[in-house]
Amino acid sequence: MNASTHEPLTLSLSVNGETHDLQVPARKLLSDVLREDLGLTGTHVGCEHGVCGACTVLIDGRPARACLTFAAQMEGHEVTTIEAVGRPDALSALQQALHEEHGLQCGFCTAGIVMTFEHYLRENPTPTASEVRDVLSGNLCRCTGYQNIVAAVLKAAARMRGESV
Amino acid sequence: MSSAFTEIGRALPRKEDRRLVTGRGRYLDDLAVPGALHVSFVRSPHAHARILGIDSAEASEMPGVVGIFTGRDLDQLTTRLRIAPPIEGLQPTELTTLPIEKVRFHGDPVACVVATDRYLAEDAAECVTVEYDQLPAVTSIAQALAPDAVLVDETLSSNMVSHQSLCVGDPAARRAEAHRVIEARFALHRHTHVPLETRGCLADWDDGRAHLNMHIGNQVPHPLRSQLAKRLGLSESQVTVISPDVGGAFGQKIALYREELTVAALSRHLRRPLRWREDRMENLMAAAHAREYECRTRTSVSETGRILGLELELDEDFGSYCFFPANYMARVIALIMTGPYRIQDYAYEVRVALTNKCGAGPMRAPMAVTSWVMEGTIDAIARELGLDPIEVRRINALGPEDLPYKMPTGELLEDVTPRETLETAVAAIDVAAFRERQAQALCEGRYLGLGLCTVIESTTYGSEFYKSAGIPGSGHEAAWVRIEPSGAVNASVGLMGTGQGYESPLAQAVAEGLGVRSEDVTVHMGNTDVAPYGMGSRGGRGATAGGGTLYLCGLKARERVLVIAASMLDLNGAGELRMRAGQIERMIDDNWQETGLTLADVARRAYLDPLALPEGIAPGLDFSHSYDPPAMTYSNSTHACEVEVDPRTGAISIDRYLVAEDCGTVLNPIVVRGQQQGAIAMGLSGALLEQVVYDGSGQNLSATLADYLVASPNELPEFEILHHHTPNRRTPAGIKGMAEGGVMGAIGVIANAVSDALAPRGVTIERLPLTPQSIRALLREAAPSPKKRTQP
Repeated sequence: MNASTHEPLTLSLSVNGETHDLQVPARKLLSDVLREDLGLTGTHVGCEHGVCGACTVLIDGRPARACLTFAAQMEGHEVTTIEAVGRPDALSALQQALHEEHGLQCGFCTAGIVMTFEHYLRENPTPTASEVRDVLSGNLCRCTGYQNIVAAVLKAAARMRGESV
Repeated sequence: MSSAFTEIGRALPRKEDRRLVTGRGRYLDDLAVPGALHVSFVRSPHAHARILGIDSAEASEMPGVVGIFTGRDLDQLTTRLRIAPPIEGLQPTELTTLPIEKVRFHGDPVACVVATDRYLAEDAAECVTVEYDQLPAVTSIAQALAPDAVLVDETLSSNMVSHQSLCVGDPAARRAEAHRVIEARFALHRHTHVPLETRGCLADWDDGRAHLNMHIGNQVPHPLRSQLAKRLGLSESQVTVISPDVGGAFGQKIALYREELTVAALSRHLRRPLRWREDRMENLMAAAHAREYECRTRTSVSETGRILGLELELDEDFGSYCFFPANYMARVIALIMTGPYRIQDYAYEVRVALTNKCGAGPMRAPMAVTSWVMEGTIDAIARELGLDPIEVRRINALGPEDLPYKMPTGELLEDVTPRETLETAVAAIDVAAFRERQAQALCEGRYLGLGLCTVIESTTYGSEFYKSAGIPGSGHEAAWVRIEPSGAVNASVGLMGTGQGYESPLAQAVAEGLGVRSEDVTVHMGNTDVAPYGMGSRGGRGATAGGGTLYLCGLKARERVLVIAASMLDLNGAGELRMRAGQIERMIDDNWQETGLTLADVARRAYLDPLALPEGIAPGLDFSHSYDPPAMTYSNSTHACEVEVDPRTGAISIDRYLVAEDCGTVLNPIVVRGQQQGAIAMGLSGALLEQVVYDGSGQNLSATLADYLVASPNELPEFEILHHHTPNRRTPAGIKGMAEGGVMGAIGVIANAVSDALAPRGVTIERLPLTPQSIRALLREAAPSPKKRTQP
C-alpha cells in the first residue's frame, strides 16, 4: 500500500457541464466520486469489475465504465451521467420508450442502458433488432430477459427519426 | 378474463418507472447519512478450517479504523440462530453470528472491520491475520453422506441434516406389474441469484430513543424486523425496517444474514450509523446459493406409456449453514413432483446434505428442478417405449374431467389447465412441420430439437400449508386502505417489491375494490412503521396474498363510503349505490346515473363534519384487513422450445420459444408479461450458462461475473406468450399468482429440446448446465456421427 494512493489530490472535474473542484484520493473510482462527492447517485455500481455495465457514463460523449476509471483520470474530460438525460416529468425518447414497453423492472441496470444508447442511437439512427442486442450485451439485466428493452430501443430510434410509433 | 372488472386487468404502465429511468430511484447506497461508518468483512480463504487465532493489532492502527470485531465479540452482542422446527428427520442446527471455532466455506466471514470509509475498511481487512488449521473439505453430496465423512457441523450426528420419505399407494406393486420400469437421472447444478444490486444495509442506532432504524433492501420487512429484534435482544417496538428501492432479490433478500446482523449490532454497540455494501465477489461467494440437486426417478409404465407408479430419490447439497429449515425447498419439490399428471402410486425419499460450500437459500422458483425431472421422465418413457412424447403427455395429463384433483401427497389442484396449455403449445408449434424440418436438417448433419415442458407452479402458500409442513409461521397478508380528508387514497401492505413493479398492479387491486381510478391510489410498502405486519414477498404470493388482501380491504372501504354517501343523498340504504372512478352513482331505472357526489365529498364529511355522519358510523375513513389464502394456489403452463445444437462447437441456439400460461386473473398484463419473460430468461440463463464452481478443495472458482456467466441479450430469444385465464374460484378476484413458473419450464424445456436434438447421437441430457464444453464432452463420449444411418 502506498500512502500517496489515499492522500487527497486536488481535481477539477467537469460533469454534466458543471465544473467541480474536489479533493479526492488518487485511487478513488469515478463511480464513487460521482455518487459520494457529487451526490449523483443515478450511476449505479453493480460489479466493480467492468462486466455488468450498470455504472456506464459518457466520457467525452462515449460510453465508459465509471467503476474502471479513476476520477483523477478525468481532468480535461467531460463526464455525462444519467442526471443530464431527462427528468421524471420530461423523459428522453428512450426513457419514454422504456416506460411504454416495460423495458425495466428493478431499474438498477437502467441508467447504464440509457447511457449506452444515448451515444449509440446518435451515431446509429436505424439499428436492427440484432444490432441492438449486440450493443446491449454490454449491460446485464437480471430482471427483464431483454426483449422489452430491445423493443424500447427500436421504438425510441424510430421516434428520433421522426416516425410516429 | 372477467369483464366485470374495471381496474383489475388494465394495462396500466408502471408508476415507479419515471424515477427509475431517470436515475432518481433511491436504492440503499443512495441514502446519505452524515458520519456513517463503513464495514468490510475479513473472509475465510479456506473451505473448512479451525480458527486458531485472529490478530488485528496491525489493522487496528491503520488510518480511519474504528474497531475490529470477531465472532466472540458478536456472540456477546447477539443471540444465536437456532433452527429446530419439530419436523421428523430434520436435525436442529444453531449458529453464531460470526464463526468462533471454525469456518465452513470459502468466503465465511470471520471478522468485521469498521472504518471511516470503505476504502480504508478494505485496506485494514487485508491486514487482519487469521491463523487457521485446515480441515478436509466436504464438496459433494456423495462425500457428505459417506460413512466416514468429516462433519461440516460438529453438533450434528451426520452431514445428512434432513431426511424424509413418503409412500402413497403401492409403487412396489405397480413396479411388479408394469410393462416396463424406466429409470432416469437429473443433476441440477449450483446457481446463485445475482441481483444487480448486491446485499447491503445501513444500520442507524438512535441512542436517545434506544431504537434501531435498519435500512435494507429486503423482501420481507416485518419478519426481518422480528428476527432482528430477537437476535439483538430488543422488542419489536425498538426496530424499524425500511426497505428503499431494491435492485433485484430473487429470494436472496429474505433471510437475516450474518453480515447484516453484525452491522446492526455494531451500530448499537458503537452508537454510530454503520453501512455495508458487499462487493460482487462477496455476493457470488457468500450471499446465498441455490438449486444443487441430484434426482433419480423410477417409473412403472404400461405399454401405452401410462404411468402406473413413480418413485423419486432427491438429494440436495445445502451448503454449510442453515438459514432456513433444511427440508424447506426440497420438500416442495417432492410434494408437487407428479404435477400435471394422473399419478396416485408415488414414493419419495429426500436427503439434504451439508457440505463446505455457501449456504443454500430459496431462489426464484426454489422448486424449479421439479418440472425438468417430471418432464424429463415423460421423455424418457417415450424414448424407451418408442412413443411420441406428446402422446405420453396426453395419456397422463390431467384434464377438466379430473378436477379437482388430489395429488398423492394430498395437494389439491383445481382451476388448472395442464392439458389445455399442452394442446395450445403443441398447436402453436406445428409439430408435424417441425419433425419434417428436423429430419431434413439431420440429412445435412444439423441437429434440431423440440422440447416440451408442462408446469404446475405452486404460487401462494397459505398458513395451512406451513402448519402441515411443521414450519412455524403464517401465510397470511395484511393491508390498510386510508382515504384522506381530501379524498386522496393511500394504501399499504406487508409485501415488499424488489423490482417486480408492484405499485401499479397493487393500486389496481385497491382501486377495483374501492371504486376509484388506479392512478389515484398510492401504495406504500417497505417501512414497518407504516405497513401492517404481513409476511412479505416470496414465492408467487404477491398477487394473491397481497393483491387479494388489498382488494378485500378496498371492498371494505367502499362499503363504508357508500353508507355515508347514502345518508348524504337522504337514501335509506346504500343498496342502489356504487362508486366508479371516485364518483358515486345511483341505479335509477336500470341505469347507473351520476349523483354528483364524489369520494372527496364523502371524505370531507367523514373527517371534517363527523357529527353529520349516520348513527353508529365513526369518524374517518381508515380500514384494515388481513387475509389468509388457501393452503396453496397453483398456476400452470406448457413451454415449447426449438433449438439447434452445433455438434462441432457444442453451441446451442434457440430458434423459437413459446409458453402457454394460465395464471388466472391478471392484475396488470404489462407487469405479468414482464414477469413471464424475466422468469424464462432466468431459467434459460441458469440452464445454459450459470454455474457456481467449487474445486475439490472447496475453493470457489466462480467469484466474478466473468466466471459466473449471466445471459446477455445475445443468448436469449424472443418469447411468445399464449394466454389462458382460468380464475381460481377460492381467491379474491380469482387471482392465482405467478412469476416462478417460467423458471421451472425453461430449465425443463431446454434440457428436453437438447436431448431431442442429440437423440440421433444417443445423447440424453442428465446434467446441467448445457455449456458448449459439456455438450462437446457428451458428443465425444457418444456414438460416432450417424452419417451411415438411414434417414426416414
